[in-house]
Amino acid sequence: MASQPSDYTDFPPEIILKPLALIGLSGLDAVNNAIHKEIWDAFANNRRPDRASVRFKLLNNTFEFPVVKPKRNSYEWYIPKGILKKNWIQKRISYIPAVVVLFYDMEWNDPQWNEKIIECASKVQSIRAAVEGHATRVAVAVIQSGQSPPPSEYMLGAERAQALCSACEIQSKSLFVLPHSDHLMGYIIRLENAFYDIAQNYYHHETKNIKQHKDHLNKTTHQYLFVRHQFKLGFYNELKQDLSTAHKHYMHAYNNLLETKVVDTNINEVRTVAGYLNYKLCKLLFALNLPRDAIAQLKSHIERYRNRIGSTELLFEHYAWVSRQYSAFGELFDEAIKAGLPGIQSQHPGFYYQYAAQFTVKRRQAMRSVCTEATKYPSPSDPLEGLIEFYGQRPWRPGRISADPHDPQREQAAILALQYNERVFNHSMMIISYLGCAISHFKTFHSPRMRKQLVVEMANEYYYSADYDYIQLSIEALSKYIQVPNNDKDRIFKNIILVLNLNIPGPEPDIPAHSQNKALEAWQSAIDKEPLVITVDMVNISSFLEVKPRFKQQHYRMDETVEVEIYVKLTYVTVLEAVIAFLTVSSASETIDIPISHDGKNLLTLESGKVKRFLCQFKPNPHDRGSDLCIKNISFILGSDKKRKIIMKVEENKTFERTIHPELLQFIHSPKMDYEFDSIVPLTVTSITSRECRLSINIQNASPALQGEWFPTNFTITNNENHSVYNMKITLSLLSSPDNPNPESVTELSLKEGESQTQPVNVTVGTINKSSESSVLFYLKTNRTATATVQMKVSYFIDLPEISKLECVKDFTTQITVIKPFEVSTSFVATNFQPITKCFVDNPFIVMPQIKILSPWDLSIVDTELEMVDCFVYSDSEKPQSCIKGLEVAEKNIASDAICIQAKYKPKDIPTRVGLYNIKWKRKSNADGQFIMSSTALSALPIDICPIGLEVNYPEVVEVQTSVPLKCILIGKSHKPIRLSITVEGTDFYMFSGYKKFSVTVPPNDRVELCYNIHPLLTGNTTPPRLKATIIGDNLYQEVIKELFENIFPQNIFVLPKYNK
Amino acid sequence: MAVCVAVIGKDNSPLYIGGIGSDTGSDSELSRQWLVHTALDALEERLSSANSNNTAPNATTPRPDLRDLYLGLLYSTDMHKIYGFVTNTRIKFVLVTSSTSPSGSNIRDAEVRTALRRLHALYADAICNPFHLPGEQIISQKFDKQVKNLMLNNV
Repeated sequence: MASQPSDYTDFPPEIILKPLALIGLSGLDAVNNAIHKEIWDAFANNRRPDRASVRFKLLNNTFEFPVVKPKRNSYEWYIPKGILKKNWIQKRISYIPAVVVLFYDMEWNDPQWNEKIIECASKVQSIRAAVEGHATRVAVAVIQSGQSPPPSEYMLGAERAQALCSACEIQSKSLFVLPHSDHLMGYIIRLENAFYDIAQNYYHHETKNIKQHKDHLNKTTHQYLFVRHQFKLGFYNELKQDLSTAHKHYMHAYNNLLETKVVDTNINEVRTVAGYLNYKLCKLLFALNLPRDAIAQLKSHIERYRNRIGSTELLFEHYAWVSRQYSAFGELFDEAIKAGLPGIQSQHPGFYYQYAAQFTVKRRQAMRSVCTEATKYPSPSDPLEGLIEFYGQRPWRPGRISADPHDPQREQAAILALQYNERVFNHSMMIISYLGCAISHFKTFHSPRMRKQLVVEMANEYYYSADYDYIQLSIEALSKYIQVPNNDKDRIFKNIILVLNLNIPGPEPDIPAHSQNKALEAWQSAIDKEPLVITVDMVNISSFLEVKPRFKQQHYRMDETVEVEIYVKLTYVTVLEAVIAFLTVSSASETIDIPISHDGKNLLTLESGKVKRFLCQFKPNPHDRGSDLCIKNISFILGSDKKRKIIMKVEENKTFERTIHPELLQFIHSPKMDYEFDSIVPLTVTSITSRECRLSINIQNASPALQGEWFPTNFTITNNENHSVYNMKITLSLLSSPDNPNPESVTELSLKEGESQTQPVNVTVGTINKSSESSVLFYLKTNRTATATVQMKVSYFIDLPEISKLECVKDFTTQITVIKPFEVSTSFVATNFQPITKCFVDNPFIVMPQIKILSPWDLSIVDTELEMVDCFVYSDSEKPQSCIKGLEVAEKNIASDAICIQAKYKPKDIPTRVGLYNIKWKRKSNADGQFIMSSTALSALPIDICPIGLEVNYPEVVEVQTSVPLKCILIGKSHKPIRLSITVEGTDFYMFSGYKKFSVTVPPNDRVELCYNIHPLLTGNTTPPRLKATIIGDNLYQEVIKELFENIFPQNIFVLPKYNK
Repeated sequence: MAVCVAVIGKDNSPLYIGGIGSDTGSDSELSRQWLVHTALDALEERLSSANSNNTAPNATTPRPDLRDLYLGLLYSTDMHKIYGFVTNTRIKFVLVTSSTSPSGSNIRDAEVRTALRRLHALYADAICNPFHLPGEQIISQKFDKQVKNLMLNNV
């Protein structure tokens, strides 16, 4: 927001400022005493808006209070000389504090207590003497270190505080203690509020005093006093921050003022005071959140004073006053909106600024009609000199009321002086400033057309104030979009050429003769003076040059030459010679000017109606890699061979993008031999990319990689550049792909086998000479069977003939497929190699992991091992050796391992797996390298409990017709004896001896042996007699027992024929 | 008494601007045009807010045609009061009264409403002319005469 233009109608600052209760602080030495300074700063500086509405004033010893006027007992013979005294407000807001607070350093237990209390009392007395006559309150604040407890809990303190009060003759509630230890700010705010209370009390007392005068007044002679007293009441209430009461009193004052008789001699005073009162009223209404009432108040105010014009000789003063009423209101409205009041399209500050501008226009009209005579300021004595005591009074007749006769000659001189001042006043600046304020508000409140109207008015005003640029207007007038009669364009062009040649241009045809002479004088004094170079910014204007620049490509490589084509069309019928043009290009690092040349010459010639094409070439700056180049503007220097030059700066964006709709282009008639100017699309931004890099890479590895191995990859970089490259660095990193996101989490890169390194891995290569090469070996280890993508980012420097130390970057990638080396499956079999689906505690069985090789590369199995979960143990007393140790396998081979284990107990939860099967392996080709350990979890086997154990001893091979023993041992495993009923199922292949059907008791933790002799009758694979058992009585383990006997008894025995000798 | 009546097309191009008054100088002609032009700010604001109000609650139902075509007082300046009216085809009528003349200052809202309705009827008659191209300026002398009459008599 532009600041308000000022003139004599300005409101004095004391009217505009928000009144704050004045509190004097005495006894603080803020210069020499650090604690005092801290206290003063806490009171007075950085006041936040939520703190009490008070203003602190530091009183030193020499401060003098204004002298009190003797009290008037009777108003009978008193005739007021004016309405509002100019110094009254000033006194209230800066010279007469409501409270004076004496700050005094004193501890309650001070050793020199008696001396201190006397000194303090005397200081209070001297303050009392100083404020003599004013009702200003006095308070004492004792500054203490904060060690001693408050007087209420501390006998000595309470006693001494009482003594201090009586010595200083103050009430106990006017004594404060300020500990300056911690929480100073908190104490300060509490003190401040206490002082504020006292101040409000004081102002209330003052209002009572004024109200007492009311009875003595009469309406005939004291009309002014009715206004004055109500104003004072309003102001005191404002100091008290009682806004609605303040408003009431100001309203009374305003209405009383309306009743005064207005004549030419007091009109200025009345309307000045009315303006102040109205300002106060509106301000309070906004503060009370009554914006509608504020607007209504302003309207009625203007309505009432609209016709109180005063003397016609000073008509302009009336309009100046009205304008000020509007602008001040606009400012108040604006402040209210900033404080949160919502404005609307039909009611916002812009309107009031607009009115202010309109009345300033009227003011100027009035000036033109009444001030024509005032060509000279009256001399020798200045009629406007002199001090005035009241707002709005005239210096040449101070303090006179209307009845007095006045000096007509002096009056005349004064009016002349005022008229002269008005004549020299710059109305345009004021109008423009008001319009500026209004325009910004209309823009905010969605009124584009209203704003446009005001902008036009503003332009008019600039024109009136003759604030324009001859060259710029002349250049703009030659534009094909501006219609002036054609020979007029010729005249304008001639004038431009004349100015370039340091000659005075011809006069404008339709200006009056005396203005012509004036213009001639002005030209003569300026024609060969500085500034000789005139820059015309073509952003907002069009002219006889149309320009379209374009980069030939949207991207340029670092080592390419950037080319800009510039098409220039001269639309005015003439030939321009000796034009220098240059192009301004900006990049991230710099802005450069590039001269535009044609056929090697820098001086260009432009012909009317023809489109010329110029080519501008330059090398990009090495620092601009990856950034954009942008055409800022194109400058044409007219008269480059002359002393005076005109620079036309054609800006980017606006001017280049002519607003012709593409569909309309077909209607434009342009000669075919021209470049198709209208169809040329400007391109003002290009990007600079890295130079193409001439390196090649050769990658060697034995892909696919196997999961878990450190897979070596060797790559060789060959320098195919024509120069050696140096400072080469390679950065290896993993790229994520859709099937392999977050590769870093499972994949490692390293330059050394078996050692992890943080990624990305940096390799410094250094210099590679022309057509030589350099190799790098790196290892990759991954636990995921997916394709790993490795990026090799190569950066290096190269010295080219045209650019030295050019940095180049090239990215290479390679994909490495990772597969599983083998698959492991498991089967469980009983000791007789029958597949089993469960095992019994203490009953050995065999785990058979089968390793199916998937790797296309031959592998060598270094070792294997079964890591069992807790509930299993090896059946042998020590860990058996792996039976496939050292085996070499090829693709599709299956290596089977076998480990005999047994369950120790039945765990509570069924284990999810038997254990981990660890395979240590390596590639056969890499015999010296490290082995890789792969672990596979083997699936689980349910464990069951059986109350008896069973062992069967039998020969696996027998001869026919030979008796062999078959021993069966039953072991009791529970705490109870178990009775079994056993039957023997005989077969045709055998005869046997022993009990066929009987019952046996297996005692707890003991064994029973059952011995049979079997006698095979036939040869071949035979099923021997089998025992079957059922538990007598208890049925819980029936099935288990049955299963146990089925599993353990041999299914077949091979019987050999007898060898006959 | 109305001092100016304007018919404005749906894309805000002026179709007709007629003014009467004691001063017929180009200055007052220009200020009249400004008045009508700036009234479009308020008009458009009203239309856009009316639109959003209508469509917001239940967008499925078609916009009710019950909307009052008469928009009432758009804004007022020291000298003039400006009223607006929008037809269903978005043709805007602007009527400007002078608040300084005795007949204009005490004008009732209902009178303005009637006048604008009559203007609507006159406009409808004028564009019924088969030789009139919609969207073109209205150059009918009859229309001009009738509008001037309307400004003088009715309001």
